[in-house]
Amino acid sequence: MIEIVSVITPATIQDSGRFGYQRFGVPVSGFMDYISARIANYLVGNPGGFPVIEFTVGGLILKFHGSTVFAVTGEAEVNLNDISLSPWESYWAKRGDVLRVRLREGMYGYIAFAGGIECSKVLDSCSTYVRANFGKTLKQGDMLKTGYAILSGKAGRSVPEELVPRLWGNKTVRVILGPNVENFSPDGIRTFVSSEYEVTPNSDRMGYRLEGPVIEHSERGADIITEPIARGSIQVPANGKPIVMMADAQTTGGYAKIATVIKVDLPKVAQTRPGEKLKFRPTSYKKAVEELKKVETMMNALEKFLNGKLNLFRIKVMGEKYLAFAGREDL
Amino acid sequence: MKVRLVGESCIAIILGEEINEHINDMVHALMDSLMAKNPEWLLEVVPSYSTLYIYFDPLKATYKEVLKFLENVEIRKVERKGKRVEIPVAYGGEFGPDISFVAEYNGLTVDDVIEIHSRPLYRVYFLGFLPGFAYLGGMDERIATPRLEKPRLKVPAGSVGIAGKQTGWYAIESPGGWRIIGRTPLKTFNPTKVPPSIVEPGDYVKFVPITEEEFWEIYKEEWGDD
Repeated sequence: MIEIVSVITPATIQDSGRFGYQRFGVPVSGFMDYISARIANYLVGNPGGFPVIEFTVGGLILKFHGSTVFAVTGEAEVNLNDISLSPWESYWAKRGDVLRVRLREGMYGYIAFAGGIECSKVLDSCSTYVRANFGKTLKQGDMLKTGYAILSGKAGRSVPEELVPRLWGNKTVRVILGPNVENFSPDGIRTFVSSEYEVTPNSDRMGYRLEGPVIEHSERGADIITEPIARGSIQVPANGKPIVMMADAQTTGGYAKIATVIKVDLPKVAQTRPGEKLKFRPTSYKKAVEELKKVETMMNALEKFLNGKLNLFRIKVMGEKYLAFAGREDL
Repeated sequence: MKVRLVGESCIAIILGEEINEHINDMVHALMDSLMAKNPEWLLEVVPSYSTLYIYFDPLKATYKEVLKFLENVEIRKVERKGKRVEIPVAYGGEFGPDISFVAEYNGLTVDDVIEIHSRPLYRVYFLGFLPGFAYLGGMDERIATPRLEKPRLKVPAGSVGIAGKQTGWYAIESPGGWRIIGRTPLKTFNPTKVPPSIVEPGDYVKFVPITEEEFWEIYKEEWGDD
């Protein structure tokens, strides 16, 4: 069991999400940053989509009432009994140990436990969706039951330095224009793809509200007949200020969407703090799928490497360092 | 029909740009056909008035393959077997604090409002926004009323309201700006059931006026000790 000693800024339990219920008005929810969350799970030997604690900037303090293997990901400060540990690495905790985490950069961090966290699923998922009271927003005194570390978890696994994702700070995010481009003037689209937009404090798991140059609509205006809306889509209400749809996004909406963030760049958006800036650059469907394949290939190799099924070699070719994964059967 | 990419993992099929039953029928026919075939790349389908979103796994199929698949699915304009769902409603009083406003605004009596609101057979065009929230078609414009200027922070689950020319009910407790005219004792959204919502897109809804006593009787059965 794990006791939540103190929650400094909101923390919830999340897994890969709640699929198949959007046609009943139920948002998907799930990890805000699926890359960091999946890696946390891989570090403790879990499948990538297992439930983890998703915490925010100020972090939380918890106490172990039994021994387990855990890992923290995100640009996090990690302290176990006041000893500083590294994120992106798995450790063994024993009964009575106290873990304190918070973030140096970014918005979301993850704590995974070997065997996952037990939860009563709502519509096939442990993900917390606060507005409908699904799942669990963590509070002081909560006790979480974790799986058996002895079955899967091993301490001392770490993500190779080169593969730690860099998702923090100001950045450029790739988008596919549409689906409602005809609701924007050519000038409006130009403004959108050539300006910087600042994330405002008015952002949460549902959407990131941005501040920046006003995006001009075409004569069709900002409103459309209500239609579905996807995670990553950027809607622009009549005030011309974009909102990026995030994990808890509503399932349908009535504002025109100028573009949709590609899947591999969505974690970058999630990890942007209020006051930090985003630039949006158009890309193609083909490029987006290529990038997705690349990231998935890397994540699969990382999972196998962390589970001891692949070895990692650093090879220098003409002065450039390359990472190579190889399994026994490859050698 | 227009087709649009939404990022790399979703296709929007736009069957029209207006709210009417025929177009919405086509949206549901397409959704039903796809769900019946359930190809391995299909993640989920989400209908609305005139647009269907098809979420797919771009690592299992390209958008061209998804569209090619649609070419080969026979989508017949079958009468969707939408069921008729009766929603008992206790109008006015503590259940419908805004009913007198709706009546006054439209120059009617409270009884007129109840009569006009509970007469039509409403069609469920789709569910969206919040869990179990149904977009209904067919409200009589004689009771259309603008939203509250300041939305309430808490509207109880089951509250039936009017916003402009729309009507519907809050399936879960939430903030809301609709004019509340009554409340149903039914648990219209129950996440422990599959499907979780009492109505599905394509169903028909009839509001049935009930008394306060009947409300509490049904309420106890539905919600138990909740």
